[in-house]
Amino acid sequence: MKFGGTSVATLPRWQNIRELVASRRAEGARVLVVVSALTGITDALKHMCAQEDKGKRVEAAKAIAQRHYDLLDHMQLAVPDTLATRLTDLAKLADEGPAVLGELAWAALVQAHGELMSSALGAAFLSHSGLPTQWVDARECLAAVALPNQNERTKLLSAMVEAKPDPALNARLAEQGDVFITQGFIARESQGRTVLLGRGGSDTSASYFGALLKAQRVEIWTDVAGMFTANPRQVPGARLLQRLDYEEAQEIASTGAKVLHPRCLSPLREPRVPMLIKDTNRPELEGTVIGPEVREHAPSVKAISARKGLTLVSMESVGMWQQVGFLADVFAQFKQHGLSVDLIGSAETNVTVSLDPTENLLDSDAIAALASDLAKVCRVKVIAPCAAITLVGRGMRSMLHTLSGVLAEFGQLRVHMISQSSNNLNLTFVVDENVVDDLLPHLHELLIAAGALRTDDSALFGPSWQAIYGSGEVPVPAASWWRTTERQRLLEFGAKATPRYVYHLPTVRQQARELKTLAAVDRLHYAVKANTHPAILKALAEEGFGFECVSPGEMKAVMAAVPESVPLLFTPNFAPRKDYEWALTTRATISLDALYQLESWGELFRGREIVLRVDLGRGLGHHEKVRTGGSGSKFGLPVELIDTFLRLADTHGVIVRGLHAHLGSGILDESHWGEVYGQLASLAERIGSVAFLDIGGGLGVPSHPGEARLDIAALDRVLRGVKAAYPHYQLWMEPGRYLVADAGVLLTRVTQQKGKGSWRYLGVDTGMNSLIRPALYEAWHEIVNLTRLDEPATGLFQVVGPICESGDVLGTDRRLPEPEEGDVMLIAQAGAYGKVMSSPYNMRDEAEEIIIE
Amino acid sequence: MTTTIQPRLTQVFRFVRCSYADGVAELVYAFDHGEELIERVRFPHAPALPASHKTAFERALKLLHLIAGVSYYKAGVPPKIELADGPLDDATADLLDALYLHGLAEFAYRNGLDLRGRIAFPRGGVAQPQAPVLNLPKRTLVPIGGGKDSLVAVEAIKSIGGEATAVWVGNSELIAACAERTGLPTLNMQRELAPQLFDLNRLGAWNGHIPVTAVNSAILAVAAILYGYDSIAFANERSASAATLEYEGQLVNHQWSKGYAFEQSLGDWLHAQVAADLDYCSLLRPYSELAITRTFAKLTPYFDAFSSCNRNFRILGPKPADRWCGQCPKCHFVFLALAPFLPKPRLLQIFGRNLLDDDSQAAGFDALLEYQDHKPFECVGEGAEARAAMYALSQRPEWQEDALVARFRSEILPQLSVAELALEPWLVPSAEHRIPARLQAALAFFA
Repeated sequence: MKFGGTSVATLPRWQNIRELVASRRAEGARVLVVVSALTGITDALKHMCAQEDKGKRVEAAKAIAQRHYDLLDHMQLAVPDTLATRLTDLAKLADEGPAVLGELAWAALVQAHGELMSSALGAAFLSHSGLPTQWVDARECLAAVALPNQNERTKLLSAMVEAKPDPALNARLAEQGDVFITQGFIARESQGRTVLLGRGGSDTSASYFGALLKAQRVEIWTDVAGMFTANPRQVPGARLLQRLDYEEAQEIASTGAKVLHPRCLSPLREPRVPMLIKDTNRPELEGTVIGPEVREHAPSVKAISARKGLTLVSMESVGMWQQVGFLADVFAQFKQHGLSVDLIGSAETNVTVSLDPTENLLDSDAIAALASDLAKVCRVKVIAPCAAITLVGRGMRSMLHTLSGVLAEFGQLRVHMISQSSNNLNLTFVVDENVVDDLLPHLHELLIAAGALRTDDSALFGPSWQAIYGSGEVPVPAASWWRTTERQRLLEFGAKATPRYVYHLPTVRQQARELKTLAAVDRLHYAVKANTHPAILKALAEEGFGFECVSPGEMKAVMAAVPESVPLLFTPNFAPRKDYEWALTTRATISLDALYQLESWGELFRGREIVLRVDLGRGLGHHEKVRTGGSGSKFGLPVELIDTFLRLADTHGVIVRGLHAHLGSGILDESHWGEVYGQLASLAERIGSVAFLDIGGGLGVPSHPGEARLDIAALDRVLRGVKAAYPHYQLWMEPGRYLVADAGVLLTRVTQQKGKGSWRYLGVDTGMNSLIRPALYEAWHEIVNLTRLDEPATGLFQVVGPICESGDVLGTDRRLPEPEEGDVMLIAQAGAYGKVMSSPYNMRDEAEEIIIE
Repeated sequence: MTTTIQPRLTQVFRFVRCSYADGVAELVYAFDHGEELIERVRFPHAPALPASHKTAFERALKLLHLIAGVSYYKAGVPPKIELADGPLDDATADLLDALYLHGLAEFAYRNGLDLRGRIAFPRGGVAQPQAPVLNLPKRTLVPIGGGKDSLVAVEAIKSIGGEATAVWVGNSELIAACAERTGLPTLNMQRELAPQLFDLNRLGAWNGHIPVTAVNSAILAVAAILYGYDSIAFANERSASAATLEYEGQLVNHQWSKGYAFEQSLGDWLHAQVAADLDYCSLLRPYSELAITRTFAKLTPYFDAFSSCNRNFRILGPKPADRWCGQCPKCHFVFLALAPFLPKPRLLQIFGRNLLDDDSQAAGFDALLEYQDHKPFECVGEGAEARAAMYALSQRPEWQEDALVARFRSEILPQLSVAELALEPWLVPSAEHRIPARLQAALAFFA
């Protein structure tokens, strides 16, 4: 059992260690505890080593001793002799300085005292509290080996130990007792000098001991429950990985996970000793078990990680790569300039390699000198800053077919390099660093949605980081209205006729009221394109919403349904001149999003106040087709044309009263609106006439069970933060789908079934003619058999409609009860972009719409 | 909205009055007979003013009133300027006529106005007696802008052990973070524009660039007398004096109030009318942008804190993209000017992306190089300077394959004379500056 610095720094933490050791003893195990130095002590010792002044060194040693006295005091223990000896030694080392032992050997011995002292203190505490504990000097057990590439520094400060099972050591310890404590981080080399194991040293010590003793297992007790599917700081929804094999774990540790140093796994592999990572504060959590792969699992991506700060060197040459020794010469240049190559990708005429962000790379002329030398033999390009995004999982190649959504995501980016090694454990994409922070959570979601990261397998995947450590309660989402109060009514509707859309107005109102809690928002407009049913328009007008329309048709529908005082926005895209002419006769605020409208029809707008829709140069959203920012999108005026637009506006006496930007749909990360808002505000400052900023909509509605909902309270905080910086602008928003998606369902009935090989098709009486989102956006809608809602879901079905298109699939691989013809099926979240996007294709009956008040 | 004025139709801009009490200066203006526009400038923890400094303070405050008026005057640009407390002496009127004309030149150009002959401060007042020596404490106010220049100035003064305070006007998280990073004591004045100015803007006021450095200079002059500093050391470099373009016979310089002409006239005026021992200068005046970026390239501790981007991020995040928009001329120029002096991976780490390997930025860099365009309206270096930096990169293997460097080599370089592209001449300081003797040793920092 290994405990880190924070775990040994206070009395309560030592009491905790005592409990844990006792519980292992109760299971009949003999326990070896490996400890780090008290938090801060190793740094203090390092600092002392760097101190040239003897007086200051002695002072530092005293302060370090005091830390230990204080803790002992707290434990109400006298200073044990073992610790007193260490403190005397340390004081002596401080006094004599590096002269006698030599700089490095002295520093190693000084730093080793952190662990020597903490373990001595621990032995006293554990023995005193009823667990007789033997103090073991790790240096007596761990012998550092000399390696060919080592210099004096690495030999002394980052040593290696060859740890083979040693039954003699087992026997020796067995004679002494059942509980032992020893030091992490230190060993002894052949000349008898104390050496350090370098970074991750204490965990590595634990592994060495695990291997030497061929332990039942090695337990690493730390401040987190184990390894996660992604860095929780980047992806709060990252899931705990409960089972990994050595290679996977090592790959995850190497590509980003900080909880374990990758080197500490290799000693355990050969003796097949499993490692368990546990959270000291939350011992009830399962933790991560790393061991030899025993059980068969469906292949799954286990983790996604990102390493930033990479520099790529791309070398282009025609036909040279085939020449004997050419690559050797090229790589010799990297060695000569002290640059270590990590990833390698090659083509017939190009070899690209990645370099990690070392000080040598960042602050010396190494890269310039390397490029100069390489330029003599090939064309060189230095590409940076890049980040490597790595998917880790055993059998990666067999999962490629599930990754299409993920690959499509990379298709939007500059991918500089893709690397996959023959061990089939990883797939790495090197992309521009600036995209990573947004990309990673999104990819994590995509992997889950695509079934590549099989979070449905509860043996492999534990709870999310957010659920374990997230602040505040994770609200359990209320059961949908159609599952509870309205289920019976829906069955009756479905029994009468299908297909039918049913809209639940209380849900619309509830969503509207939730958005009204956004205190920073001065005006909300419902983007009516999501659903133009008059009852919904009326309900939202009653809730105080304005309306955003994109065509005269929508405007007329809204004007027919809502009172005349309700504000309207007209935000068309590539609309004909006559649409603007007509809109100018109404009360609507009109938005322009191109130079053309003022260049060609400028006089139309003379004296009018307009909103300018800008394109901030990037798009977001759940699918390529719903992204509305970036050059690849037809919406908005590019930022660099704003000045030209303003001059045109001035020429025609047009006043820019508002700025508008909309990034896309289905965005679940609240920080995006803050960014859009901040960017719009900084643009608005250049334009005196602007009074309001419209940050659009795109508030995401999660579709998969367990997917995190948009945090409205967090969004409010983000928006209020920006508002505080720019209080002189009103803030507008234009939510659409958020208000109505969950309020609507599509009812349909089972028509037929078909089996084809192992595939089973379940036919229903409507398809893409009524709901095109699955076919158009690969949107995922929950599908249930409402007639058999309580029966076990035993079959795996492709749910398809009656349209003569192979794309007429409403849901793939759905677990459903065995159906019968005529069963009422319900397709959820159909309130937005359902009926409004339906078509008469194949001349099938259109779905009628029913309102539940 | 209480104002019913049509700003562009106003006839008179009136300097109504100015006053100071308890750390707050009130500057009052009006158009025609409209509502008073009251600006407030707040001086934190203001000490009591010694009687011996009273006259100097009043003179500095009056100058601030006159200079800060430019923010309001430009809303209507009326044909007449009136002063409630009588005409100015000729020296003061000269200073202000020049400031309003040249400082608003870009504003005029952009709005299609011609201000020549329109700006005339009432003059003919009695000349003030020569200001005395006040024995101001030997310490310096160094305005911090969040960009590289002021940080270089700070480090230069620190290098000679000079006593200095990092000072800035307004709320800026970025500047506050940079000021803190300098390790100097800090001083932050607040300028509260008259709220009616926003109303005027909505009523169609003229809008555009104002000589904000002049306003800040006047605020610092007041602060120097109030808190006791003998010098104000800005960080305006040599190219600030170069015009952006010429328009109908008038030179238009985006950064006129950062130029040497204004520095001289304000410096002389302060000597003559406020305190004979209050020096106003720019510490970077002898240097080109490239000489400054070369010096800044050694100041690693600031790399993750500074930004010259004109997007003026009010909310900072930890990512480079939270400080550098990567789209504006300032981002382009600072990237280009630092590139010859920093290891490439380090530069790219600062900006979080490689602006020179992005085809879509071609037009922006072309403007800096004055290729097919005029220099942008920004505080950026001279075209020839940008060309020298680009040429240096085009000769370096680690840069030359990047999209815009490769484009420079194939498309632009053949049209240029290589003899005029050397970097070294830009690193030679010029002799033109008015840095007081006490601070001149700091110039060794740039060697």
